[in-house]
Amino acid sequence: MKKSTKKLMALVLACLLTVAFSMTGCSSKDTSSGSSTASKEKIALVCSAAGANDNGYNQAAIKGLNQLKTEKGVDTKVVETTTDYPGTLKTLADAGYKLIYSLEYDFTALIDGVGGEKPLAEQYPDTTFVVFNANPNLKEDNTAKFKNVISVMFNVNEASFLAGALSVKVNENASVLFDSSKYSLTTGDAGRAVGFIGGTQSSGIEVFSYGYAEGINYVAKELGVNYTYYSTYNAGFSDSATGGTTAGTYYSEGANVVYTVAGSVGDGVDAKAKEVKKLSIEVDANKDSAQPGYILTSVLKNTNVPVYALGTALIDGTLASKGGTVINYSLGSEATGITDLSTIAAAIKSDSAAQAKWTEIKNYITDLSSKIGSGTIKVTNAQIGETLDIATLSNVKLPK
Amino acid sequence: MDYQRLLYDAISCGAPIILCVLGGNFAHKANVLNIALEGMLLMGAFTSVLFTMLTKNILLGILICILINLIWGIVFSVMCVTKKGNPIIAGLAVNMLATAICAFLLKVLGMANLNVNSIVNVAGLKIQIPVINQIPFIGGIISGHPLMTYVSFIAIFVMWVIMYKTKFGVYVRVVGENEDAAVSVGINVNRIRYIAVLIGAVCSALAGINLSLEKMALFTNDMSAGIGFIAIAAIFCGSGRPGLTSIYAIIFGLAQSLAINLSISAGAYSGLFNTIPYFMIVFILAVVSIIKMKNNRVRGFKNE
Repeated sequence: MKKSTKKLMALVLACLLTVAFSMTGCSSKDTSSGSSTASKEKIALVCSAAGANDNGYNQAAIKGLNQLKTEKGVDTKVVETTTDYPGTLKTLADAGYKLIYSLEYDFTALIDGVGGEKPLAEQYPDTTFVVFNANPNLKEDNTAKFKNVISVMFNVNEASFLAGALSVKVNENASVLFDSSKYSLTTGDAGRAVGFIGGTQSSGIEVFSYGYAEGINYVAKELGVNYTYYSTYNAGFSDSATGGTTAGTYYSEGANVVYTVAGSVGDGVDAKAKEVKKLSIEVDANKDSAQPGYILTSVLKNTNVPVYALGTALIDGTLASKGGTVINYSLGSEATGITDLSTIAAAIKSDSAAQAKWTEIKNYITDLSSKIGSGTIKVTNAQIGETLDIATLSNVKLPK
Repeated sequence: MDYQRLLYDAISCGAPIILCVLGGNFAHKANVLNIALEGMLLMGAFTSVLFTMLTKNILLGILICILINLIWGIVFSVMCVTKKGNPIIAGLAVNMLATAICAFLLKVLGMANLNVNSIVNVAGLKIQIPVINQIPFIGGIISGHPLMTYVSFIAIFVMWVIMYKTKFGVYVRVVGENEDAAVSVGINVNRIRYIAVLIGAVCSALAGINLSLEKMALFTNDMSAGIGFIAIAAIFCGSGRPGLTSIYAIIFGLAQSLAINLSISAGAYSGLFNTIPYFMIVFILAVVSIIKMKNNRVRGFKNE
């Protein structure tokens, strides 16, 4: 009897496993709403490794997708972090998704093909793939390789420029703006320093750093002062404790503002900023209220804007004309920029001198923003292959 | 370079490693390789912040965190002590489960990280020791750490006493060196091993609390960043002796602190310094085993 029970159990378990595995296999084929009609457009989105809850890059894109769903009534599908990225794209394309946003940073399978297969863009010519942050869709002569791939880029260099300009402006006027009992900002020449912490050494990170350095240089030159620029590009994207300690060394070297582009390492830096009563700058989403009063601003990358715009284009039938192109979202597009500064404004002293100064700074930033928009100020854009000539940074010292 | 800050950071970075090392020593001596330290540390970091957030009380958060880690310790013990499973596999399971549970719960909560800065004031948790903080240079290094950092240093002595001056310590070492002999004199081997693993679980919980709750009031995914594994390296370097392993733990803390502090003046090359801790692990392990090999004698003759 006992033996047979065991056998029965083994059988049940085996059945369960088989069902479980076969379910996983077809999970991405399921459409999100069962009652889909043939006329509905199907749009899918594949998250990057950070996952759907990253309070930034992925989450904003999903927000844009949900907006499409409610306003335009399209069928949508979000695929969260996946280990088989090419397989996911294939499954989605097979299931009839005409527009697929890929927030992943790896484009090899899509553009070049992996495992001896043809590139996915070639295998599925009727599906439009949208990639972000880089333009891998290039032949050697710089023309588009595939007509069904769209590259979306955010001019975060311009937003970072504004963040840099704001850092210097705020730092120079710190005594007017902030209550000295709540902040312990380093004053004088020693406090003319900023920090930058990047997750990895790549053009995708440098684009932030270069813009930031140029913004600092621009204002520093105007005011005739010199700034020290501490930086590291090896913080990774998860070790928030070490990130916090690194920021701690920058703060104690005199830096009053540290800008972090390194995933959740930034959270550690924000916590450190609050601990030492200085300022930090966040990235991707509006995270100003994570440590209210100690995050100066956030450099935004509103992925929902292109997601919504391209989805609308698909429905209107104008998507084909965008195929193979690179879409740059500049400051004016509201897809990138810095926050409205309302969170930090609450920490500004309430006396008239401080408020007047704060308004002056905000106007200055708005003015800079329009100057960048009109092309009067040119900011280096590392993500399209531009390199920064360090010699142009006359008022920024990079420690050697 | 600011040497005071360098040494302060070394103590700060070293504290969680020391705690993990001290906890892992007993399991090492009892001949159970506890590679689950990393997962337990992460779990400690996660649950301490999570329950502080839910209960709005730091002490309660810490208490629940320790209890949960004890459960983890029991799970690990059941797998590899009672059921005699391979501790490497069991440890790996605990490590992967811990990472997955944290990520999953964060997702269920719909949060990118756990932030308790409204409940916990990080700057306020730092203890300024009177008199000592007046000493020039030294004061700035020793004073101003959170509670668990001091606990870790006090624990070095406490663990040494337990290991070498109590009956329990003798039992642990006997169980590790010769299980059959231990059984023959009536020692409950499994119970000793359970306790050894559980000490490790509690210490890892304290290390996790130090890492997340005390230093940042924040938990982010995968924030343990290999500290548990570095601790295992330190345990092997110091062959499970509380004093010696702690010294290695401090050396690894110093290496991390060096990497951070050197990066300020190194610019683009700062990435190289991040390899210092790992390079030192390899180097120290190599040197230690060469020395051990040299002194390894079989029946009075050199074993070559």
